[in-house]
Amino acid sequence: MNVIRLLGVCTLVCAISAVPAAAQTKAAPKPPKPQISQTTREKAAQDNANPDALVLADFQKRIDAYMAIHKNAAKNAPPLKETKNPAEIKVAQETLGAKIRVARATAKAGDIMTPEIRNKFRRLMYPVVQPTARDKAAPTSPVPDIPVTGTPVQGTSGRAVKADVKEGLKENAEEKKEEGGKPVVLKVNAIYPPDTPLPTTPPQVLMNLPKLPEQLEYRIVGKTLIIRDVEANIIVDFVPNVIQ
Amino acid sequence: MRRLLLFVMMLLTLAVPALVAQNLTLPMKNGSIKFAVIGDTGTGDKHQLAVAKQLTATRAKFPFEFVIMVGDNLYGGNSPKDYDQKFAIPYKPLLDNDIKFYAALGNHDDPSERFYKPFNMNGERYHTFKPADGVRFFALDSTYMDEKQVKWFEEQLMASGSEWKIAFFHHPPYSSGETHGSDETLRTQLEPLFVKYGVNVVLTGHEHFYERIKPQKGIAYFITGSSAKLREGNISTTQLTAKGFDAGYTFMLAEIAGDDMYYQALTDEGKTVDSGTVHRVGKVEPTPNRSAQPVVATSGKDAAKPTTPRANPK
Repeated sequence: MNVIRLLGVCTLVCAISAVPAAAQTKAAPKPPKPQISQTTREKAAQDNANPDALVLADFQKRIDAYMAIHKNAAKNAPPLKETKNPAEIKVAQETLGAKIRVARATAKAGDIMTPEIRNKFRRLMYPVVQPTARDKAAPTSPVPDIPVTGTPVQGTSGRAVKADVKEGLKENAEEKKEEGGKPVVLKVNAIYPPDTPLPTTPPQVLMNLPKLPEQLEYRIVGKTLIIRDVEANIIVDFVPNVIQ
Repeated sequence: MRRLLLFVMMLLTLAVPALVAQNLTLPMKNGSIKFAVIGDTGTGDKHQLAVAKQLTATRAKFPFEFVIMVGDNLYGGNSPKDYDQKFAIPYKPLLDNDIKFYAALGNHDDPSERFYKPFNMNGERYHTFKPADGVRFFALDSTYMDEKQVKWFEEQLMASGSEWKIAFFHHPPYSSGETHGSDETLRTQLEPLFVKYGVNVVLTGHEHFYERIKPQKGIAYFITGSSAKLREGNISTTQLTAKGFDAGYTFMLAEIAGDDMYYQALTDEGKTVDSGTVHRVGKVEPTPNRSAQPVVATSGKDAAKPTTPRANPK
């Protein structure tokens, strides 16, 4: 009888102490595992190269191919140049977009961001948006005190970057409500809605990703990283679930 | 009788702008650089128009030569109609008087706005200009702070010599706003450069209110994001605020004379909400090894003395 009672008390104590502990230690998402295709692995072995470097080289090649299309389309569209007439800007942007869409009529999601490139991007983004050692050391104070003088604060909390991304999303949702902007259609060649705010891409995210030509940019929409053609205002390709 | 009526009407017409633009505290020194700052303007609604009207009226008393726009220049689209309704029409009296506008991009702005000549961005997402000897402005695109832009900014700062250095962009590195708060990631990126190269003043928007931040590492920060949009009661209590105003639509006037930048923030009704001076102590040479920059002090009617800066707890 006593043993049963003791067991009951123990269970109760365990249950009570486990609840806050579980609430506090929400498991951080695990880093994505590398997914390198058989072809890339074989090539890496053959060339004695790093498979990740090959994946990034492949990404660069695909971006170069896109840029060749962009430049060719731009030759046949009115130039984007400084003007007092906003209609000229609009026409130049829309004509360029239309020509690129025609040239990439059969393009689909994953043509540039292939599965292994997507996986690589998720791995590149993972460290930037996860809590850092500093976050863990001071879980309740994500923003550190700023010293009056001395060296600048180095590095940024991963939590802060993630918070930035989340804030951007929240803000976009709120402003969409206020302004009535359209939702972003995640589709290759889709126009980024001109009345929808552009979510800010945190600098730390940009530092970790491969450089893009100035005509292209990364933006985070929801949990998706998109590559947007700035001049044509179209979605070039995207990587879903970069934010876990 | 008709003559008298005409005379009275003429007097009234002359008096109206003076009545609207109230109590300017700026010194209006000879040879000073005079400018205005507006932010989050592009709605095309009555609030933008009211601020624009007040800004225009104020110019009769304070002849500013250019206007800084800290982003969100066009909300809800960038069609030719948007450019007209949200910029060209509200500021027509100023544009007609050859007042130049210098814009930075906000999160509501398509980067193609850089090609719109009246924004004076030279077709670039980030740009710099020197309105007169001794003063240089840097417009940054805080929505996309990539390595290339940071490098460009550093190069420009390095080359700028011992000038007043004023950076303007959309997102505030320090803010007491409940909705957004300080942009810590951006601050991490930019503040070391501000400190290293002696940026004196930072002008931002994004938060739909006016806030002057207590000097941070010797740099004066202003938020002027309520020139058309307002989030009433959105300033939370933090150690950052030197002066905050979230009960009305505002714009800012500034005047640089020697080592002083005088400022005054006004409402769309012409009421002063803040005024004071940013004093630059000594000239700043670009010295890449500098780690801190104790060169700016602000004082104002409602200013707190430069104190130990604390981060926004948000």
